[in-house]
Amino acid sequence: MAQKPKVDPHVGRLGYLQALVTEFQATESQDAKEQVLANLANFAYDPSNYQYLRQLQVLDLFLDSLSEENETLVEFAIGGLCNLCSDRANKEHILQTGGVPLIIDCLSSPNEETVLSAVTTIMYLSSPGSSSHPELTAMPVVQCMVRFSLSANARLRNLAQIFLEDFCSPSQVAEARSWRAHSALGIPLPRTEAPQQP
Amino acid sequence: MATSGGELGGVFDHHVQKAVCDSRAKYREGRRPRAVKVYTVNLESRYLLIQGVPAVGAMKELVERFALYGAIEQYNALDEYPAEDFTEVYLIKFLNLQSARIAKRKMDEQSFFGGLLHVCYAPEFETVEETRKKLQERNAYVARTTKNKDTKDFRQDFYSKTSGFPAASLNTSTGNSDLCLPYSCELPLCCFSPKCTCSSGEHVDRASNSSQDGRNHDETLEHCNHYDSLQKMQMKTLKKFIGLSLAQQKAITPSEAVDRFMPRTTQLQERKRRREDDCKHGTLLEASTSSNEVMIGPQLPDIPKVDMHDDSLNTTANLIRSKLKEVISSVPKSPEDKLEGVCGSHPLKQRRRI
Repeated sequence: MAQKPKVDPHVGRLGYLQALVTEFQATESQDAKEQVLANLANFAYDPSNYQYLRQLQVLDLFLDSLSEENETLVEFAIGGLCNLCSDRANKEHILQTGGVPLIIDCLSSPNEETVLSAVTTIMYLSSPGSSSHPELTAMPVVQCMVRFSLSANARLRNLAQIFLEDFCSPSQVAEARSWRAHSALGIPLPRTEAPQQP
Repeated sequence: MATSGGELGGVFDHHVQKAVCDSRAKYREGRRPRAVKVYTVNLESRYLLIQGVPAVGAMKELVERFALYGAIEQYNALDEYPAEDFTEVYLIKFLNLQSARIAKRKMDEQSFFGGLLHVCYAPEFETVEETRKKLQERNAYVARTTKNKDTKDFRQDFYSKTSGFPAASLNTSTGNSDLCLPYSCELPLCCFSPKCTCSSGEHVDRASNSSQDGRNHDETLEHCNHYDSLQKMQMKTLKKFIGLSLAQQKAITPSEAVDRFMPRTTQLQERKRRREDDCKHGTLLEASTSSNEVMIGPQLPDIPKVDMHDDSLNTTANLIRSKLKEVISSVPKSPEDKLEGVCGSHPLKQRRRI
């Protein structure tokens, strides 16, 4: 959601973000961590904050939080990444710091929002203009998307379909579909999905 | 559909109204109590789900209320959606995402015919094409905004360089009208005023005119009448040679920038610059017309008359000026420094703080 700046938009914005990061690193309370991470993730929606977020290494903070046990933290972190990854500089940073495997792992989360954010993040990272990362359209990912495209969950279905149509070649999709029957699929479906037909 | 079907208020988890967070640290408490939630491009949608509408046959009034925030493409009642007794659930589809965002922010938790509305996004109603378009628009918006930010820094440098540039000698530079066009042409992601939720065709028509119209278009986008009159006068001359950067500045209407005071800062900077200009000119004028008197030491500059382009501010300025004249005339030897200080910063009340 939009954050209302109090008087002057950027005086004190850096200071505030810094205070958030400091609290996140210092606090023991899970509630506080969740609140702060959600706050940062929402700030990540506004491009005017990107230079501050990069300066404070919030991108790394999001990537690190993807490995947290707390599902809510993962959901907020991948949401933050989804919000800011369409910016070129942020995209480069994520690709260069090895964030791709962490994001792909999120596809296996039981949390619906996490999976949706992960799919969108992968799409934005694969957008033309940046150096195309082969991992983003590797076979396991494409297979996963094929399964998602048959999901009963409309949002997931839509996103997966867009991924397959816009970011994969037809041959990749065909290959993934033919593999579906035999390979051991390591990426479970999110919890909210209805059981599939074999 | 989903696993929690049939439960009140939440066929989907993202429809459920979460409890407001009450354990926030003081420094990061917002103005309104809010739940802990992250909004991404996936969650936001042109479709809004409105729950808690009292079943009193007020669909027309509901739609009219929401239409204040933007053009509505379609609306219908969701009879099969689980609802509390005596309430109904509606789905409203806005023409553009920004209207939906504003409507949600404004209408959530508002009272309506005796009930409290709960408004949330309903992205599951989108078609594939609508979702695709939404993602592309978000991408384009980020690209556009980050590109604008680079030229915003250019504009601030420009201000410091151009103090003292006489406004009268500015000429229209025809190149600038072309520069303004790309930013007037694009359908912005956000159209705040309902009258501005025109189709892209209208935008193109406006942009095809001179930069004057492009500027008006941007000002309409800002949806702030207060700014219109002030900026038309102040910005007219400046825009002719700053052109692109300022147009970009106005065109920065990201969804959050409705809260950014960028135009206001621009006004204050502009006024300050004009005061400095007038101060400088006042000094020069005084020096040239004082040939008759015998001068000992530097001439005290007259207090410059600055037109604040606003009646109330001008009245205040005049009052202070006359008071200062009184004081100066009664005290024959006022220190020059005091007046220089006054010249630079009039102690004027700023009336329009939001």
